[in-house]
This record gives sequence, structure tokens and C-alpha cells, in this order.
Amino acid sequence: MDARSFKIMLCDDSILVRKKLKESIEKCGSFTILEASDGQVAVDMYREHRPHLVFMDIVMPSRDGIDALREIKEYDGEARVVMLSSSGTRSNLAKAVEAGALDFIQKPWEQAQIISIIARVVREREVQNV
Amino acid sequence: MFSGYFGNYLLNRGLLTLEQLKDALDLQNSVHLKLGVLAVNAGYMTPAQVYEIHQLQQKADKKFGELAIQSGYLDGEKLESLLATQKQGHLLLGQALVDRNYLSLEQLLEAFEAYKRDCRLSDKQFQALLQGDTDEIVKALVDLGDSPLGNVYSGYISLLVRNVVRFLGESPRLQDNPTLPDYSDKMLACQEIGGPFYMFTAMAAGRDTYLDIAGRYAGEKFVDDSELARASFGEFLNLHNGIFLVNMSNCGTELEMKPQEVHNGQVPTGLRGGRSISLHLSKGKFELILHGKGL
Repeated sequence: MDARSFKIMLCDDSILVRKKLKESIEKCGSFTILEASDGQVAVDMYREHRPHLVFMDIVMPSRDGIDALREIKEYDGEARVVMLSSSGTRSNLAKAVEAGALDFIQKPWEQAQIISIIARVVREREVQNV
Repeated sequence: MFSGYFGNYLLNRGLLTLEQLKDALDLQNSVHLKLGVLAVNAGYMTPAQVYEIHQLQQKADKKFGELAIQSGYLDGEKLESLLATQKQGHLLLGQALVDRNYLSLEQLLEAFEAYKRDCRLSDKQFQALLQGDTDEIVKALVDLGDSPLGNVYSGYISLLVRNVVRFLGESPRLQDNPTLPDYSDKMLACQEIGGPFYMFTAMAAGRDTYLDIAGRYAGEKFVDDSELARASFGEFLNLHNGIFLVNMSNCGTELEMKPQEVHNGQVPTGLRGGRSISLHLSKGKFELILHGKGL
């Protein structure tokens, strides 16, 4: 698979988190990376680009990540969205699972977690394309 | 952790100059704890007895412990316990100060006692400080009362100390502030927490400390105020609060937090009232400000 054809979207209101996450992803391969700074921007960007994988923060200013996840899953039931938040409370975990999140990573993330998720979704896509 | 508190105490009491303290703190990483210092600290020997053994050592080619047992000041059991303590680090600053002749053994012992007395530390609290027991240190040094909110604050502050160690790479020294500081010229990272009770949380730091914290957290060097530096300063508070929420959730209390905000010299209304605790780092201090209600 050509890594460039695999699109990953990052959604976090913190420019620092987006920068660090981008660096983590780039260590895994030369994927196409899209950046959104808010839940609504992420929804709009998802509709336009249909990324293969999304890393989504929860607590954001104008539209939170759980809300954005719900709308993305409504638009595309096959969307692969991983919640990436410092607030991995039971309540947030339950909401994320209920809304259809693929996984939940508690910040600060480990590089191995990012590698594992990307490898899993890339593999799934390759199987689908066989 | 103890070195920071005790070193600052000696500095404030005028027993050391800043240069001497810096020198001793540098030296403490390489000094070897001597049994005499440990024996005095444990209350097994007086400074005069240690001096006597040192004099004997100049005449006899024997180890300190051996001579102290011969003189009846120590027994085998006490010597064993001192040898085990020799591997612990909390007395290293004291040893460095004695080695450099900045303090005599008598002065060091007096300073330890005065520190316990002046800080109103019980033996248990003093031991907690020596052993770096964060929860006990917070209870000993910050007056939070026994209210439910005081207990929440206590857990919050202990966690912050651990997160400063974990993410900024330094053990902070706590200082309780009787009044709120003037934060008009500070960089403020603020975040509200809500649920069964409400907490306004903020970190306030002068320019240099803010840039230092932002740089350490991001793993980058910031020399000027920038969007990335502010994001890093705010994200540190956000991460800490997120972990606090997870801890509370694990104890059965579900809380939510609003997005963090970073202000330069602006005073959010939520900061009126509340508690302030200073966290001293090597490059300066920042204030933690907590204002809660509802418990």
C-alpha cells in the first residue's frame, strides 16, 4: 500500500498536541495528515476528505469530540475514530464506546499505542482491498 | 525532595549563602554519606562522640563503625541499620555542607531540629519529607483544613507535585501562601472543573518561568511568548486536570472539565478568592490557584 494514499486526521484544539501527534504518526510512515482544531471543523473535514483514521480529542471549545464522533459515525458508520484525551473518565469512556469509537487513548500517549492503532487500521484496509 | 526544602530553609535563615547552597546541591550527587552524619541523625551518637571517633581514626587504621562499637556508642544492630541508611539520599545535602565546611556537624543537627520546629513538623511528617511521601508533605506544609473540599485540594496538589516530577522533570518545593498573589503581570493557564462540585484551577507564572515550564513540557526551547509556548503551558494544566478527573472517576466521582484557556495578565473572574500555593522550581516559581465550592 502507498502510505500517501492513507489519510489520517488529527483533531485537537491544542497546536502543541497536533504537532506532537503529527511527529508520532510521521515516525510510522509518510501518511497524508489532515489537521482540525475543533469538533465542527473535524466533521466538515471528514465529509470532504473521508480520512481512513481519525484521532479525536474530547474537550474542545466550540464542539466537543464526542459530539463530533456521533455526527461522523452517523455520516459514515465505517469511520475509524480513536478518542485521544487526557480525561479518560468512566463517563467519557462509556460515551466514546456508545458513540462508536474504535479505541480510547489516554494522554500522554505512548508511541507504541499510535503504531499499534495505525497498523491495525492499515491491515484492515489491506484485507478489504484484497 | 528534602534537599530543596531544607536548603531553602538554611538560605532564609542566613545560615548559607546562595553560592554555598548551589555548590552543596551540586556536590550532593557525588558525596558518600558518612556514618558519623547518619549516626547523629539517627540519634545514636552526639556530634562530640563522632568527633572523638574521627580523632581515633587518625591514630588507628580502623573503620568508623568498628571504632564506634569498640567505644560502646554503637552496637552491631545499629551499625547494620546505619549501613542500610547509607544508601538513602536524603542526608546528602547535609553531608555536602559538612564536607565543604559550610556547617559543622553540630550546626547541621541544630538546623535539622530547628527546621522541624519552625515548620511544626511531627516526627512522622519529617520522616515523610525525608522519604518524599508527597501526600504527607502536602498535608504537613499546606493548611487545607479537614473539610471535604480540603481533602480534594490535598489530593489535587499531591497529584500536581507528582506530575511536575513526571512531566517537567523536577521535584518542586511547596509553599503555602496566606493571600492570593498579584497575578496581573503573570501568564495564567486556567481551567474549570464541574460536576458534583466546582473547581476553578489556574497556574500563574512570570514570563521566564512560564517559558521554562512550556519548554520542559513540550521538550523544546522557548525564548519568546508564542502560540506554541502558550499551548504547551495550557496543555500541562489540561493533562494534569485530566489525570485528576480519572483519579476522581476511579473513586466514584464523575467530573467534567472545560477547555483550558491561557491569558496574559488578564484576571479571570473565577480567580477572585481561592487558595494559592507556590511551587518552586530551579528556574523560578509558579502559583497554583484553586477556588472551589459545592462540597
